[in-house]
Amino acid sequence: MAKNNTADKITSDLLRSIRLNWSFKIWFAFLGAALLVCLGAYGLQLKNGMVVTGLGDYVSWGMYISNFVFFVATSLIGMLISAVLGLSGQKWAAPLTRIAEIIALAFAAVAGLVIVMDMGRPERLLNVFIHGRIQSPILWDVTVITIYMVISALFLYIPLIPDLKICSEKLDVPPFVKNIYKILSLNWAGTSEQKKLIEQSTRVIAIFIIPVALAIHTVTSWLFANTSRVGWDSTIFGPYFVTGAFVSGTAAVIIAMYFFRKNYKLEDYITEKHFDMIGKLLVLVSLVYLYFNLNEYMVAGYKMKEFEAILIRDLFSGNHAVLFWSVQLFGLVLPIILLLFKKMRKPLPMLVIGIMVLIGAWFKRFIIVVPTMEHPYLPIQNVPMNWKIYTPTLIETLVTIAPMIMVLLIITVLAKLVPIVPISETLEQLETTEENKK
Amino acid sequence: MYTRNFRILILAVVSVFLMQSFAQNNWNVPADKKAKNSYIKFDAASARQGEAIYNKNCASCHGNPGKGNSLKSLKPIPPDLSSKGTQALTDGELSYILITGRMIMPSFKNVLSEEDRWKVISYIRSFNKNYVQLLSKFDPNKAKLVKVSMSYDPKTKQVKVDVKANEKSGVVSLKNTEIALFVSRYFGKLQIEKNQITNTDGQAVFNFPKDLPGDKTGTVELVVKLNDENYGEIESATKLKIAVPTEKPGLTDDRAIWNVLAKAPFWIIILYSAGVLAFIAVLLYLVMTLNKIRKSGAKK
Repeated sequence: MAKNNTADKITSDLLRSIRLNWSFKIWFAFLGAALLVCLGAYGLQLKNGMVVTGLGDYVSWGMYISNFVFFVATSLIGMLISAVLGLSGQKWAAPLTRIAEIIALAFAAVAGLVIVMDMGRPERLLNVFIHGRIQSPILWDVTVITIYMVISALFLYIPLIPDLKICSEKLDVPPFVKNIYKILSLNWAGTSEQKKLIEQSTRVIAIFIIPVALAIHTVTSWLFANTSRVGWDSTIFGPYFVTGAFVSGTAAVIIAMYFFRKNYKLEDYITEKHFDMIGKLLVLVSLVYLYFNLNEYMVAGYKMKEFEAILIRDLFSGNHAVLFWSVQLFGLVLPIILLLFKKMRKPLPMLVIGIMVLIGAWFKRFIIVVPTMEHPYLPIQNVPMNWKIYTPTLIETLVTIAPMIMVLLIITVLAKLVPIVPISETLEQLETTEENKK
Repeated sequence: MYTRNFRILILAVVSVFLMQSFAQNNWNVPADKKAKNSYIKFDAASARQGEAIYNKNCASCHGNPGKGNSLKSLKPIPPDLSSKGTQALTDGELSYILITGRMIMPSFKNVLSEEDRWKVISYIRSFNKNYVQLLSKFDPNKAKLVKVSMSYDPKTKQVKVDVKANEKSGVVSLKNTEIALFVSRYFGKLQIEKNQITNTDGQAVFNFPKDLPGDKTGTVELVVKLNDENYGEIESATKLKIAVPTEKPGLTDDRAIWNVLAKAPFWIIILYSAGVLAFIAVLLYLVMTLNKIRKSGAKK
């Protein structure tokens, strides 16, 4: 009897978030209005062309491509938390898998749009597919990101099937919504055969998504590393990007955890222990990334080859020095030091650190993309100053913010449609602990 | 004291101003070249054709006439060609500037034909309402009378160019005419030696390099350019089998990274297809599993 009570409480606790309350409507309206403003800016870009941006012949990859790399990077977290931690038996991460998958899906889905925003003639997008050459990393990137998006969607959907059944039964929603939940739950009856099938397919995805996720960010790094330009011509760019991706993704999950926990009152399910553990995870991935940063700049900075030296000086003590050192210190070194203290691995300090790391991660991509573009091998001569030094415009900034709002919208909507912490898995865990007690 | 300083100041200002204008106009155009006129009538049609040539060759530095958008980062700043200073020059002077070039102004001698150069000048003049053209009496059809023949002497490795005109009164040799020899290459023309002056028989001799690559059979296209006082601008091409036979496979013949899709390297095709096929296999497996889940639930 007591057990049933707890099970009912868990179900109602975790289903509680699925309803349209005022705070949701206000938040949604705010995001919608902000998105409209940003899309208006994009409309201006479509109408007048790329001239409304700070991009030009020399810096043709500015904020948009930095943004793209950031989005692909952050989407990698689904693989780390759901697949790697899951396969290695880290049970504590189970309640976070759905948050990680929603973040992964949202960022991967929008990443493609970010690329379209960088195109002066987006109506020619189809040409990538019609005239694409499989020798080009750009086509590989389009391919792997599409694959990752599909796999991430399935990785979100398949473990969700039992919960969809619970939704169709327990939720107080109009009949047609119940029907949709029912259809999506694929006649789930909780039989041992069905459970086995779900388990098997989840395992197959968890294994398959690891190489796919490694591929998406390695290929994204090849967009840079496969061109022989200073700062990009590096053999470690693949792992350098992948480890950097784990840093920004973990930070995104921490931020999401904080808000879901607080707004949906999930303190019993996303506990301080989870923050403690994911804080340690962030330290781990940040240390690995710091190591790659050290290696990347140490090798180039020691040799100081003619053209490389110009870029290194620009980063270390020139135009981009403030940004470069801020990113390294506030986005990487300081968070690592802070998170070593147990007191810092509590929800609120972690939220602040998470935001710091995420902002740092965005500017880190900027630091990788823009300074290299400003220093081509052939010196830039006889052109106006604003061609040499990239300065983003207001319209460009608004267009850059648009995909961020879209990600928030997708996360908000998905979190309103499905329970953000897996119900059936939590119930199962409850059963196993009960059995263990006996 | 005051007035003296003031005088010096004025003198300094005036002299600086003079030096500047002197520097800008000091093209030292010879009198005969200065008096040269166009045989093409400057009308709307020629100005329109000139505009196209101008936009391709001149606008990147000089900007659009009258718009003041010339490239200000250059030194000296290229003048706006609708300006009074430019319009005060004669057609001959403008033509001379186009031919010779100076400092950062390149020579268009071998880039634009005489006809094209006059058309550009016609376009520049279209911005001057007070301009009245002095038309040259030169008949461009006279160029058709000229015949250029080229021959190669394998012993001396020399190309002999012979220029004659078939006048009604008989064959006339073009003497004392500056003549240039080129070989056509992928991207434009390669000049062979320096310009030569034809002798009294209308002939000039060029030393031809021994190591110049030709096509499979060693054939190259030789181009002769000359501009004669009486016959105008003449360009004539002849193919001769005098270069080193060269057969190099084209860079796009074999499968390569930089080639078109149909000529992609096999290893890329295999790796890419393997990746996509693996995805399709996993996707099919998952869809089938989902279908099994649905069917197994329906039985109950």
